[in-house]
Amino acid sequence: MNKRLMPYYLMTVPAVVLFFIFLTLPALQGVYYSFTNWNGFGDHYDFIGLKNYVNLFKDGNVGNAYWFTFKFAVVVTILINILSLLIAMGLNAKIKARNFFRGIYFLPNILSVLIVGYIFNYLFSNVFTIWGQNLGIGWLSTNLLGSEQHAWIGIVIVAVWQGVAYNTILYLAGLQTIPGTLYEASNLDGASRWQEFWKITFPLIAPFFTINMVLAMKNSLMVFDQIVALTNGGPGRATQSISHLIYTGGFEGGEFAYQSANSVIYFILIAAVSIAQIRFLQRREAEM
Amino acid sequence: MKFGKGLAASVSILLICMLTACGGNDTSGRVQIEFFQNKPEAKGSFDALIQKFNESQSDITVVQVNPPDAETVLKTRVVKDDIPDIVGMGATDTYSLLAQSGIFMDMTGSPLLSRIDETYVQMLKDVSGMEEVIGIPYSTNANGVMYNKEIFSKLGLSVPRTWDELLATAKKAKDGGTIPFYFTYKDDWQTVLPFNALASNLEGIEFYLDRREGKVTFADRYREIAEKQLELMEYGHGDNFGKNYADGNRAFARGESAMYIQGTWAISEIRKANPEAPIGFFPLPTGDDPESNKLISGVDTLLAVAEDSKHKEEALRFIEFLLEPENSKQYISEQTLFSTVQGVTQDDPAVSELLPYLKRGQVVDFADHYIPAAVQLNSIIQSFLQNRDIDAYLKKLDTEWDKVADRR
Repeated sequence: MNKRLMPYYLMTVPAVVLFFIFLTLPALQGVYYSFTNWNGFGDHYDFIGLKNYVNLFKDGNVGNAYWFTFKFAVVVTILINILSLLIAMGLNAKIKARNFFRGIYFLPNILSVLIVGYIFNYLFSNVFTIWGQNLGIGWLSTNLLGSEQHAWIGIVIVAVWQGVAYNTILYLAGLQTIPGTLYEASNLDGASRWQEFWKITFPLIAPFFTINMVLAMKNSLMVFDQIVALTNGGPGRATQSISHLIYTGGFEGGEFAYQSANSVIYFILIAAVSIAQIRFLQRREAEM
Repeated sequence: MKFGKGLAASVSILLICMLTACGGNDTSGRVQIEFFQNKPEAKGSFDALIQKFNESQSDITVVQVNPPDAETVLKTRVVKDDIPDIVGMGATDTYSLLAQSGIFMDMTGSPLLSRIDETYVQMLKDVSGMEEVIGIPYSTNANGVMYNKEIFSKLGLSVPRTWDELLATAKKAKDGGTIPFYFTYKDDWQTVLPFNALASNLEGIEFYLDRREGKVTFADRYREIAEKQLELMEYGHGDNFGKNYADGNRAFARGESAMYIQGTWAISEIRKANPEAPIGFFPLPTGDDPESNKLISGVDTLLAVAEDSKHKEEALRFIEFLLEPENSKQYISEQTLFSTVQGVTQDDPAVSELLPYLKRGQVVDFADHYIPAAVQLNSIIQSFLQNRDIDAYLKKLDTEWDKVADRR
């Protein structure tokens, strides 16, 4: 073997082995279990073929969780990208105490999702309701998270509040790659702010737009912590996301194999959505 | 060779970590056994008992583990084959699943059982559907209506004995400007409490044995239960689905409501917020005949030993210690529960009205202990109480039950 290649192998092979042992192998095991009726413990289980997959398609709770998760993910992805792009442009402008504000806006990303969730949970139930009562606003005087119709809005608020920070940083990085001379030139040509944005800023940060869309979508499809901290999937199953269903059904419900089948489908779906998004958005990048 | 040095260092750090984490014995040569239990309320009480035990022993150290959402954590640990030496949990459907999987030691014929009230040993057999006894019942609870004695005497209310009296009492409280019931239905498990009282009393546990064989359906037999639970909702506060268990305990401790449908396990939490809270307790009346109304009481904590534990004998010694009348008494007094140990009585005035029921054996187990966890009864009831559609609710119970049975 070429001696100069040795360090490269030493660095990559352990990573590959670790990746295989801790990620690939369990994933394959999950696929294997999805064809059994194992409850997660116990000594024996039988092979039942595709029965779990058939049952999945008959299960209204599964359909409900997929519907909720996709609805949630689309709303959150759009809101996060609009807001973080606006904030990034604000923070990129020549304002006072710019670095201070950049720090402040990044703060939500540093806090643990679970802690943020519990804080908001308290706010929703014991603080906002009191404001609502004092101000005489009907919809604010009961807990938003306690209503089957509206609980998802509460989760969207928290997810967006926290998710914006990370995407803002990516957009900021993107905005700084645009040379200032372009704006000077457009100023001389008399371009309006609006034209400036659509003709210069947006096309030039297109790759960042792509990656932000994909990341935000993927993260919100995998939403779990916020749900646990805010509603635990309730009221009823109104805010049960797919990962929450897999966790509660698989472990609390003792239906490990059944939810393994669900996670196989879930994995395929997330991979498909991400790939489709990247393809579509990158083609758009090239066109711009 | 800088690279080699770094590698050696990291490998040795890894090894040290593995050795210390896996070692069952600590430095003093004592055997360390893990006691895993699911009640956050009881953490302090068990800590005190464990300390007493550890001091009395020279060769065993018991360590308590009490994570949030303990039942789920326990199941994930069972999946990883990492079962705690001793498990303390309620006699629920989870217990029944675990007992049937053979991960706990068979206690049938154990001398420890001779100290335990026979009723509760039988209850374990019923829940798991097995003839063997897998675990030792340790404490039992009761589920009913907690009431504020001061508010009751101020409004001239007396303890209701029938369903109609209960509603009349609630109405009087409402007219008197007090919240009748403080509902805490943001936590879905709270919605199950009235369900248990109504279902166990009106249809009984036999219903579930028949349901397993497909002889009956919820749609046929649970309408009255659904209607009555819905009727109670007329007497809540403005934000029934916005408050959780902790909010409820705080509010009831402050005297914000006349009644609170709850279990005895909450008393210790309420007293943390207000040690002087004037608490009384009565069984939820479900029908017209006070004589036939039963108190809902189940095994709050049972103690099971892992079949694979390397230290079974030591684990049993700790259980024996907990079962000593003095220690059992200490535990139930702090937690306002009832002891399964013969001769140990609960003297707390807050629950004195429940004692005659326990003495006469006028008790029945929680209905939800017989419903598979995968049905997710809690969220079904929570959803029903919001959309108030009785037909859809009963149908949902039936379809979910059948679906789960089909998948098992």
